[in-house]
Amino acid sequence: MTNVLEVTGLTTTFSRNERAFKVVDNLCLQVKRGESVGIVGESGCGKSVASLSMMRLLSKNGSIAGRIQLNGADLLRYSEKEMQKIRGKEIAMIFQEPMTSLNPVLTIGKQLSEGLEKHEGMNRVQSRQRVLELLTQVGISRANEIYHEYPHRLSGGMRQRVMIAMAIACHPKLLIADEPTTALDVTIQAQILDVMKKIQRELGMSLIMITHDLGVVAETCDRVLVMYAGQVIEAADVRTLLRSPKHPYTMGLIKSTPHNAKGQKRLHSIAGSVPAPDHYPKGCRFAPRCEKVMPVCLEQNPPLLDVDQQSECRCWLYRENRESTAVNG
Amino acid sequence: MFWSKQWSMPRLELWEKIMQQKKAKYSFLMMLCIVLLGIIGPWIAPHDPTKTYYEAFMQGPSKDFWLGTDAIGRDILSRMLYGTRVTLTVAVLASVMTFVAGTLIGVTCAYLGGIVDNLIMRIMDIMLALPGIVLALAIVALLGPSQENAMIAIGISSIPAFSILIRGAALSIKQSGYVEASRSIGSSNWWIITRQFIPNISNVLVVYTTMFIGSAILGTSALGFIGLGAQPPTPEWGTMLNEGKNYLREAWWLATFPGLAITAVVFTVYLLGDALRDIFDPKS
Ligand SMILES: Nc1ncnc2c1ncn2[C@@H]1O[C@H](COP(=O)(O)OP(=O)(O)OP(=O)(O)O)[C@@H](O)[C@H]1O
Ligand code: SF4
Ligand SMILES: [Mg+2]
Repeated sequence: MTNVLEVTGLTTTFSRNERAFKVVDNLCLQVKRGESVGIVGESGCGKSVASLSMMRLLSKNGSIAGRIQLNGADLLRYSEKEMQKIRGKEIAMIFQEPMTSLNPVLTIGKQLSEGLEKHEGMNRVQSRQRVLELLTQVGISRANEIYHEYPHRLSGGMRQRVMIAMAIACHPKLLIADEPTTALDVTIQAQILDVMKKIQRELGMSLIMITHDLGVVAETCDRVLVMYAGQVIEAADVRTLLRSPKHPYTMGLIKSTPHNAKGQKRLHSIAGSVPAPDHYPKGCRFAPRCEKVMPVCLEQNPPLLDVDQQSECRCWLYRENRESTAVNG
Repeated sequence: MFWSKQWSMPRLELWEKIMQQKKAKYSFLMMLCIVLLGIIGPWIAPHDPTKTYYEAFMQGPSKDFWLGTDAIGRDILSRMLYGTRVTLTVAVLASVMTFVAGTLIGVTCAYLGGIVDNLIMRIMDIMLALPGIVLALAIVALLGPSQENAMIAIGISSIPAFSILIRGAALSIKQSGYVEASRSIGSSNWWIITRQFIPNISNVLVVYTTMFIGSAILGTSALGFIGLGAQPPTPEWGTMLNEGKNYLREAWWLATFPGLAITAVVFTVYLLGDALRDIFDPKS
């Protein structure tokens, strides 16, 4: 299978008050055709910034280095005008906040037609037909009524369905979903995930699912990257990661999911919080919270390397596994 | 057709809200009356506004001349009725100019950001350093006094303040999720500016434009008062005020009625602007 997306050494730097800090540090990621890759991590670890970087939608104070290849073409070389042709057509995104992601003064129909009229050159009649199909496809009944509705009449779940319809309107090869269910009720969450899986299957689309919820990953993804403080600290296929996590942070995450907490009185939680991008510790970025911290951890940040056939991990605990392959990353 | 579809909901709601609120309702109705007077004024005026009645120089209000006559025997009521149209036309056209240029500049600056934004906003700041009326005076001095030039001067001199206000409003739209979402499906700059920015700041646009019409009426009268607006014998309130100011003691009606008219109209416009702001933004 060929890679739809190949991200190499993606580093996103923000500068504020003359100071620059890396919010995403050397992210590498491959997504194959039809594959779902999860990116998991706590709030503030740089998931949204990474996905906005891939869309080239960062605000002006952010700069991107590395390489983002979509079907072999490097997105970082494109001009803004060229990116406008690619966004929506080749790569699309769904955002965390369905309540604010729709324009309050445009009807649903108008907002959904935009991409179709732009990318597919459809006229109003054609795009209307297609929008009604799309609405049905994302599980909205009464598509005819919703077409003329303004967003404020729709519930959060409905809006997120509309956002999905908007993103997939022109059959993008890759969809980035940035916490698409975080803002929704649990029951609605499951429905939205089902819709996304169904559509992904129908379109043979690749998916990057960004979340802080391992349950969502388990349900939708083939492979998963765990991010911590701007870096990937573990990467594996979903089963391996959930069954035998390697990194102490991943272990903590798995222990703290409600599913694994049956019988326990309180949920396990990892003490402390993610450091801010301008206060990353010198050694391992997880060291201040790690139960297995060693002297070397405080001195040097470990590289991301293969632990075994299935997993990559960024932790000194696995030093002996990689003595032969040691490269700094 | 596209207008009615796109705007029908917000427009209907606005109408209902205006009718629900006392301040909005009455100022709106008053405004309507004033505009109506401006339109039908020439037909209901009892006399020719430029005709001199030799038997009636500087006569006080009477049965024939309800608001009296001026120094050369012209009917003040008729002149004021004709003047309504002059003042409103100048003020509204000037505001249209401010509205178009100010919205374009404000929204473009907010959308583009960076150097363009910085440069244009510095120029606006410099223009804003002069009080609006001084800037207007400078422009009229440059173009020569006439009704059209007064309009241009008032329009241009309000652009800096208007565009800065609009830029501020548009900046908050720029941060919004739906602009980001729209960009993520490849929307063009033009679409984002015309479909995302402008409809979403339409509230602010309506309120500010109303307020600016108020200032434009004051500006028109001020230029007329110092003789740089509409030229005699065109009946214009500011000019009439000027003509009357020398006879305040002997003939109070000359300056009083045009003065009252200016005050009443400006008051109404500001009241309407204020009411509209309350409707759109109930918090502040
Ligand atoms: N435009 C920006 N300028 C400066 N710093 C930014 C900007 N956007 C994000 N950041 C910083 O980057 C860091 C990562 O933010 P990001 O939004 O990617 O986190 P996240 O992993 O998506 O978290 P969440 O789960 O809350 O969405 C944060 O510390 C944030 O303060
Ligand atoms: S490198 Fe050390 S501090 Fe970091 S996760 Fe591994 S054991 Fe913990
Ligand atoms: Mg986020």
